[in-house]
Amino acid sequence: MPEVVASVPNGAHIGLGGFAIARNVIAIAHELIRQNKHDLTVSQGVAGLDTDLLVGAGLVRRLIIGGGSLDRFGPVHNINRAREQGSLTFEDWTSLSLCFRYLAGALGLSFIPIKSLIASEILERLEQGSGAGEVARIACPFTGEPYVAMRALVPDIAFIHVQKADEEGNCRIDGPRWENEEQAKAAKRLVIIAEEIVPTEAFQREPERTIIPAHRVEAVVHLPWAAHPTAVYGSYDYDGAHLKLYVEHSKRPERIGDYINAYIRGTKDHREYLEKIGGEAHLASLKADPELGY
Amino acid sequence: MREIRSTEIMVAAGARELRDRETVVVGIGLPQIACFLAKSTHAPNLTPLLEIGVANMRPKDTPVGLADSRIFYRATCWSGFLDVMGMNLHRGVVDTGFLGALEVDRYGNINTTLSKENGKVRYFNGSAGGNDVASLAKRVITIMRHEKRKLPIAVAHLTSPGYVGGRPRAELGLRGGGPHRIITDKCAIGFNKETHQAMLLSLHPGTSLEDVLANTGFALEVPKSVATTPLPTAEELRLLREEIDPKSVYLGGVG
Repeated sequence: MPEVVASVPNGAHIGLGGFAIARNVIAIAHELIRQNKHDLTVSQGVAGLDTDLLVGAGLVRRLIIGGGSLDRFGPVHNINRAREQGSLTFEDWTSLSLCFRYLAGALGLSFIPIKSLIASEILERLEQGSGAGEVARIACPFTGEPYVAMRALVPDIAFIHVQKADEEGNCRIDGPRWENEEQAKAAKRLVIIAEEIVPTEAFQREPERTIIPAHRVEAVVHLPWAAHPTAVYGSYDYDGAHLKLYVEHSKRPERIGDYINAYIRGTKDHREYLEKIGGEAHLASLKADPELGY
Repeated sequence: MREIRSTEIMVAAGARELRDRETVVVGIGLPQIACFLAKSTHAPNLTPLLEIGVANMRPKDTPVGLADSRIFYRATCWSGFLDVMGMNLHRGVVDTGFLGALEVDRYGNINTTLSKENGKVRYFNGSAGGNDVASLAKRVITIMRHEKRKLPIAVAHLTSPGYVGGRPRAELGLRGGGPHRIITDKCAIGFNKETHQAMLLSLHPGTSLEDVLANTGFALEVPKSVATTPLPTAEELRLLREEIDPKSVYLGGVG
């Protein structure tokens, strides 16, 4: 994994596959921080802990998101504070508009029309800010109906956490998958973080369940618990105690550095991080019940 | 039985706005609770959808939000934004969008992005699917606590459009039908068909008209006769307290 992260150039546009407190690419975010990457552009439908960490650690220059939340644990404090201080370039979209922009990228279209955003301050702010070159009010050439045209969104690299992959890169995603497929297939490079590696025969038996086929995948990183403290449906639950601890730090600008030093810079890799948060005994308490999925 | 809380009246009033056999995109928090109550009572064939790509879930444990695996339980379909918000909402087949809000104004415009207090801006969660739902659903119901600062003349940030500037939706270029109800812990609010302004529909038991007017930031239209919102039935209360939100994760918010 360190090699994959080392291949991310400073200034790159990365797309992250997490949603709020589910299937975040935490281990990737940690390694980006350990390697002192900088000036990144991050895009994500609904930002979660992964992006909040990257912003808190000062790696992000430009943020393109549809929203952000840690569900009942709190808001994305680092992201919100950075917006308030104007310390990064911020583009505020919506879940569907970003999904459509990735879809355009995945289809090789240069733009895509949408019927949301219209008559909102979100659109006005995009037009007046750094999104000015990415939206245009247009009329349908056939019916004259008004639309917002949006430029395709193509990350340099997308990082997506999945439950199961094979060594070739075929991927299965259990539970809902928000804009994972569109983002993955729009990106120029795609890196998968897999909870579990299964034999290719498992995909041959049920090929209809393959969401991302191997030929689109550059690398598969097999790293169990790579989404901790966020949840992976069918594998483990979110870690409520750790999320509370995180929010206790993230809500105060003077304390987020302590969290980053203790849990990220102070650990050499994800294995050490998992030891630090309580190791096997603690992780066992988060394992999903196979029937419930959490 | 313990005293009926204003949140319980609010959630039951929200649930009764939902109809059997309709398709509803449900937002995080109180909308989820109201939707499950409707499905457990008068609307067993209602299809709830979650923006992240979930259809017809039947959770047995109270989820902490949209990304909590508890809310995916016993769903009949898992997909993504493109399916639920693209091929349902954008396609025009979603009957009701059911949302929470930081602020709602007299034209039903919704703010979930920021607050401005004494010139200081504080950011919140943003739109996520909120703008998409408010733009595209055939009708929109908002459910929220009734506070003067949450019901201003004009929202501090127009995240999701209602009848912007009092104009009809078609004139705004929007496909969805727009605001239908605002359900609070004090009353139910509808919209005047001509002016598109918020109009009082019913007062919850125990709430006076003066209380509502004093705690509303805009001039709420009050018709000649105002109904009283029915109290939740014993069965609705039992479902809320024992099955849907037994730990009062959502119902504990307002006294």
